Amino acid sequence: MIRTPAFIRLTVRNLFVNTDPGTLVFLLGLPALYLLILGTMFVSLISGVSIGTSNISYTLFVAPGIIAIQTFTAGNIGGGMLWSDRRWGMFEQLMTGPFRRTDYLLGIMFLGVILSLGGSLIMIALSYYVTGTFIMTISNTGLVLLTIILATILFSSIFLILSVLVRTMQAYQTITIFLFFVLDFASTAFYPVDTRTPLPLRVFSDINPLSFVSNVLRSAVLGDVTSGTIFYLEVIITLTFIFFFIAVILYRRIKPGT
Amino acid sequence: MSSDDDNTISVDNLVKTYGSAKNAVDNISFHVKRGEIYGFLGKNGAGKTTTIRILTTLVPPTSGTVNILGMDVVHKATQIRKHIGVVAQHESYDFATIERNMKIYGMLWQVPSEVLSTRIEELIELFDLERVRKHRAFEVSGGEKKKLQVAREFLHDMDLLFLDEPTVGMDPIMRRRVLDYVKEKSREGLSVFFTTHILEEADYICDRISIIDQGKILAEGTTQFLKDNFGQLKTLEVEVSGTGSFTEKGLRENIMSLENSRDLSVKENKITIVGKNMDRTLEDLILYLNRMGLRAERINLRESSLDDVFLEVVNK
Repeated sequence: MIRTPAFIRLTVRNLFVNTDPGTLVFLLGLPALYLLILGTMFVSLISGVSIGTSNISYTLFVAPGIIAIQTFTAGNIGGGMLWSDRRWGMFEQLMTGPFRRTDYLLGIMFLGVILSLGGSLIMIALSYYVTGTFIMTISNTGLVLLTIILATILFSSIFLILSVLVRTMQAYQTITIFLFFVLDFASTAFYPVDTRTPLPLRVFSDINPLSFVSNVLRSAVLGDVTSGTIFYLEVIITLTFIFFFIAVILYRRIKPGT
Repeated sequence: MSSDDDNTISVDNLVKTYGSAKNAVDNISFHVKRGEIYGFLGKNGAGKTTTIRILTTLVPPTSGTVNILGMDVVHKATQIRKHIGVVAQHESYDFATIERNMKIYGMLWQVPSEVLSTRIEELIELFDLERVRKHRAFEVSGGEKKKLQVAREFLHDMDLLFLDEPTVGMDPIMRRRVLDYVKEKSREGLSVFFTTHILEEADYICDRISIIDQGKILAEGTTQFLKDNFGQLKTLEVEVSGTGSFTEKGLRENIMSLENSRDLSVKENKITIVGKNMDRTLEDLILYLNRMGLRAERINLRESSLDDVFLEVVNK
């Protein structure tokens, strides 16, 4: 009998557990709704956005931002899996089964990446249909995929850290909502941040990882990769490494059953 | 799987300490044979769960050696986990229906799909889960969650099963059904490490039992051995008839052998005495009743139960 690697079985399990209709609507439908609603509502308020030397429509501007948010949402589901598995006893149960801790960690990360890529593909297709101006060369596509994967690992790591440190459901949900609100809205995902933006928000947006992800994705799909884009990518790689490292250290310290 | 002797569990001088606290498990040794159902009894905080957590590779021992199926629990944890099943004391389930929980669990254990479908149907019927098979696990009662936990463990093949209070929340019929199923599997060669607070269950199912308290094993043996050696308390019930009368005080003052009894109660015409050496007490009681113009109408002498043994051992 061909033995499927343990981390793949755990990834499949994580997908099965998360693929109820409600979650699917949330995962795949919400970003599309963002695009349709924001893209049509704000386009009348924001006539165009300057990116580098070109001026693009707001719909085209917001589409990569929503893909960035998709990585954040998928990271939340992936990293948050540990929290619910600890809460509902499955982490300890799985740790008495034919799995290593590394398998479980990989299962979480793969879940996030699959959900992220799946949702992003739908978003890219929808965005292309709506805007028709995505430039998808091989190198741009590679950069988009790399950014999506890195961002998902980054956000999964952040939620993994939360899953280890936060004990109560109320605290976990409060922190999650807070993170969603602050990181989503104080970033360049939904609107451009320029000199008109209040200084504190501008500073926060400049250090917000979701801004870096949005900026790289935007440059990639618009075919406008500059040295600034590479710098943002380097920051994402560094942040991903740091947060993943912290997450792994904390994760290894979990005592099953606590 | 390899084992140089016939033991599925070999524990020698096991110690577990958390921080600077007193030993949670204090130098215990025991062995469980292949196909044996081994009961591990103790009151709350006695060290049962810590021991199970070590045996199931969740926490490492502080010192001592633990071999599961011939493999060292520290160095061969991943290998061991491929051969054991664990029904933990706390509930555990995925956020899916009962049926999907079982499918997912079978998939995780790589049960071939055709075998899995058959086993799921068998176990759903055996554990009376048909009514709730399409219900989400978090929606069903505690007893049904427990049934799911036990049932799904039988989806995969294993050599050793840990059952930590597996029947909590189940009705008596289901409890008996689960115990009988475990017994059947044991006869087929499955070794079982079993803890429960319902000592009747341990009496019914276990081949051997150990009683742990404050991290130490206080007694170990077959249920009969424990009853013979530790549960020396017997209960004597006598219904009295006749024209004479008697009081509890009168009994105490006139029957010398009652001094060693643990308990004496008189309710209308019924005398109940709990103690050791009941043969002597019964003789003395009958003589006294005759002197008082009474006679023993009905006599019932009950052997000690595992509950008596447990209380005797733990309260010593």
